[in-house]
Amino acid sequence: MRRKKWWLAALTLITVFQVISMVQVLFDQPAENALFVLDGKGLDAQSALFFGIFILVEWVYFIAMSIARKHSDPALELVAFFLTGIGLVVVAGANKEQLKTQFIAVMLGIVCFAVMLWLIGNVDRAMLMRTPMAAAAIGLLVLTLILARNIQGAFNWLQIGGMSIQPSEFVKVAFVFVGASTLDKLQTTRSLTKYIIFCVVCVALLFLMRDLGTALIFFFTFLVLAFMRSGDFRTLVLVCAAAAMAAGLVVLIRSDFVMERFSTYRHVWDDIYGKGYQQTRVLIYSVSGGLLGVGIGKGNLKDVSAATEDLVFGMICEEWGIIIGILVVLCILFIAFHSIRCAAGARSAFYAISGIAAGMLMLFQAALNVFGVTDLLPLTGVTLPFISRGGSSAICCWALLAFIKAADNRTWIKRGELGATQQ
Amino acid sequence: MKGIARRSKLMLIFTAAFLAGVIVLVSTFVINAQDWAFKRANLHIYSSGQIVSAGKIFDRNGKVLAQTVDGEREYSDSKTVRRATLHAVGDLEGFIATGAHTTFRSELTGYSFFNGVYDLKKNGAGNDITLTIDSDLCTTALNALGNRKGAVGVYNYKTGEILCMVSTPTYDPENKPDDIDSDTSGKYDGIYLNRFLSGVFTPGSTFKVVTAISAIENIADINLRTFKCNGSYQTSTGEVRCNGVHGNINFGQALSKSCNSAFACIAEELGNEKLTQTAEQLGFNQRITVDGVKVTKSFLDLSEAVSVDRGWAGIGQYTTLANPCQMMTVMGAIANGGSAATPKIIKEDNALSSIAVQKLEYMSSDTANTIAKMMRDNVLNQYGEWRFPELEFAGKTGTAEVADGDPHSWFVGFSQREDLPLAVVVVVENGGEGISAAAPIANKVMQAAAK
Repeated sequence: MRRKKWWLAALTLITVFQVISMVQVLFDQPAENALFVLDGKGLDAQSALFFGIFILVEWVYFIAMSIARKHSDPALELVAFFLTGIGLVVVAGANKEQLKTQFIAVMLGIVCFAVMLWLIGNVDRAMLMRTPMAAAAIGLLVLTLILARNIQGAFNWLQIGGMSIQPSEFVKVAFVFVGASTLDKLQTTRSLTKYIIFCVVCVALLFLMRDLGTALIFFFTFLVLAFMRSGDFRTLVLVCAAAAMAAGLVVLIRSDFVMERFSTYRHVWDDIYGKGYQQTRVLIYSVSGGLLGVGIGKGNLKDVSAATEDLVFGMICEEWGIIIGILVVLCILFIAFHSIRCAAGARSAFYAISGIAAGMLMLFQAALNVFGVTDLLPLTGVTLPFISRGGSSAICCWALLAFIKAADNRTWIKRGELGATQQ
Repeated sequence: MKGIARRSKLMLIFTAAFLAGVIVLVSTFVINAQDWAFKRANLHIYSSGQIVSAGKIFDRNGKVLAQTVDGEREYSDSKTVRRATLHAVGDLEGFIATGAHTTFRSELTGYSFFNGVYDLKKNGAGNDITLTIDSDLCTTALNALGNRKGAVGVYNYKTGEILCMVSTPTYDPENKPDDIDSDTSGKYDGIYLNRFLSGVFTPGSTFKVVTAISAIENIADINLRTFKCNGSYQTSTGEVRCNGVHGNINFGQALSKSCNSAFACIAEELGNEKLTQTAEQLGFNQRITVDGVKVTKSFLDLSEAVSVDRGWAGIGQYTTLANPCQMMTVMGAIANGGSAATPKIIKEDNALSSIAVQKLEYMSSDTANTIAKMMRDNVLNQYGEWRFPELEFAGKTGTAEVADGDPHSWFVGFSQREDLPLAVVVVVENGGEGISAAAPIANKVMQAAAK
């Protein structure tokens, strides 16, 4: 075991990066009555407070972890905090009024990460949660379908009090959890059947909500889960064939809504003021930023609808530069890669499978997002993990991260226990 | 657990696929950056579809042809200069594809893939550029052309700098005519086209220079020949009519008098292959570029030409088409001992640019000297030195028959004065006789350039 605190250097670097980027969006107030003034602009104290708390939480987390679990590998969370920080600054650069909600969501997400980690830390405790989770997930989706409002062509938003939440994000966590726990021990045919019914119901409900992107993510995650458990390609081929037939049926019945999305694919320049509007603007502004970007909050893509959500990759390329854009994408790749690396040494099949499923889910979602807005894949309107604005998405990503963290065996080595548990 | 560990390795396929996707993404960015960044929807560069923030464009004497003032793109103060330099400077909407605003937009805006629009955002403008054109000379050319459609080009065949590049019809970019797109009378036909770079016209008798060069290089005793002209030349498949009855004439007289019979006879003797070979050696069917701007190819195709077609082709008719810029370059090569400097439009004032002049090797120096002397004789013996006083001028007229209307009037030529290394081309669409329409314009522009 290396005793060097390499994470301290990495965290310092990340913090420096965050502070530099935050300063770019903090000074935009009138100089009068401001605490600090830079280039004739006053400091936005409230936003500065949010950023300050975020950095504080970041440091407290790593210091606490280094004391409580000094063998834990901090790379995963370093990447997650790095991405989350970028997401917060992007939101602040585009619209300060949205920073507060995003900040609260991020904090909730980090809490959620810790709670999830504790919850699944004990396999027996985790198994108890299985049925309630599945029931809650389906209940939530059904409720959404009944109450949902139509936002941007999809019925997947739920209005509770003054907040809009996207239940499908929370169902993602349940989906991985239920999937991994049901498939963990060699189950009876009955519980396996129950699980398949659960999956079919989830995907079907998402289709009804017209949330094609999330339905695809669920289907992909299901394939990963099923393969990890059985290792049987024949079953997977069968599942894919069944899905293809079902998809064909959907296209036959609802051809208007599916084909509308695919008709623009690879033809975005034919309709740059209509269906190709978002993708063409992402492409135009991504290459306008150069390697180092035009500066945070100084881009033009932020004025396009869904800029900080679906189109956030383009915003980063434009404002932060293509280098940071690529770095962000590689960070997601690292998270997925990390989940694979940890799975081999995980304490049990549950951790291995749930960790990999979470990692692959994020990778697939990032692929749909980044390659979708750049027209390499059809646009499906999913978010970029950790970066995109959206409370539900931020919480879900941190919760999913707990599965990967739990799969890493080093997470569970307590102080002074090293010799005893290392296999 | 062992099975799971093995299966988890298979998941690496997805990470590899993702990485491949990222590489494809970056490649498409690099490949398409210029194209995408200059889409009119890019509000960093365009406003209401017009380029706004860009560097200044100067003429060779430092006169401002276009600049951005308070976020508005402005042209020269003089209306005549604006009209005369429109096709060189270009419009803001990009209709004039070969204008500087479009072709040098990267330099003007400072955009590059690596820097993006950073410089533009920071300074509010990109780089200034200086064109080689002389706006006064362009004005002279425009005035000489008047209301006729056509093109005038003048360039220095030693340095390659284009001093004059005018195309008509033109308009004032600060007061664009409202009826420019709706007009049906034809007065605005091809108004966005820079005829000098992008136009092709039937060359008529100016092509006899090409045929003559082919004869000098392929027929050893061409200077000893006599040709008999009785008003037409008979071939096995038809006749080529001449513009007169010239009787017995030699090679030099044939060019001076522009005798169709003689040149149809020469073309017949050369054959399709040799004539095509010489034409291509002189730039026909070849792509030339002016500082990266593609010049429309001059066209000669004799692959299906029977003898009467060959005869017509030899005097610049048949399906032959010539681009003014390319014909001007041929003149430059003749004047400069067989090789001409490649025409250029961006002025560079550094030591390297004067040493590293790019040359087009068009013919041997012997051939060049022979044809140059013949073309000088055209002026001395046929057109009259009084038409081009003090220019030591050499040239060739062209009167190109076209399907509808009067013939196109051409003049190509060059000065042999050591201190005036300029070649010139003039085309007047449906202008009539080369000597009466195009030649006076060539003289006016050259006299102005000589001052």
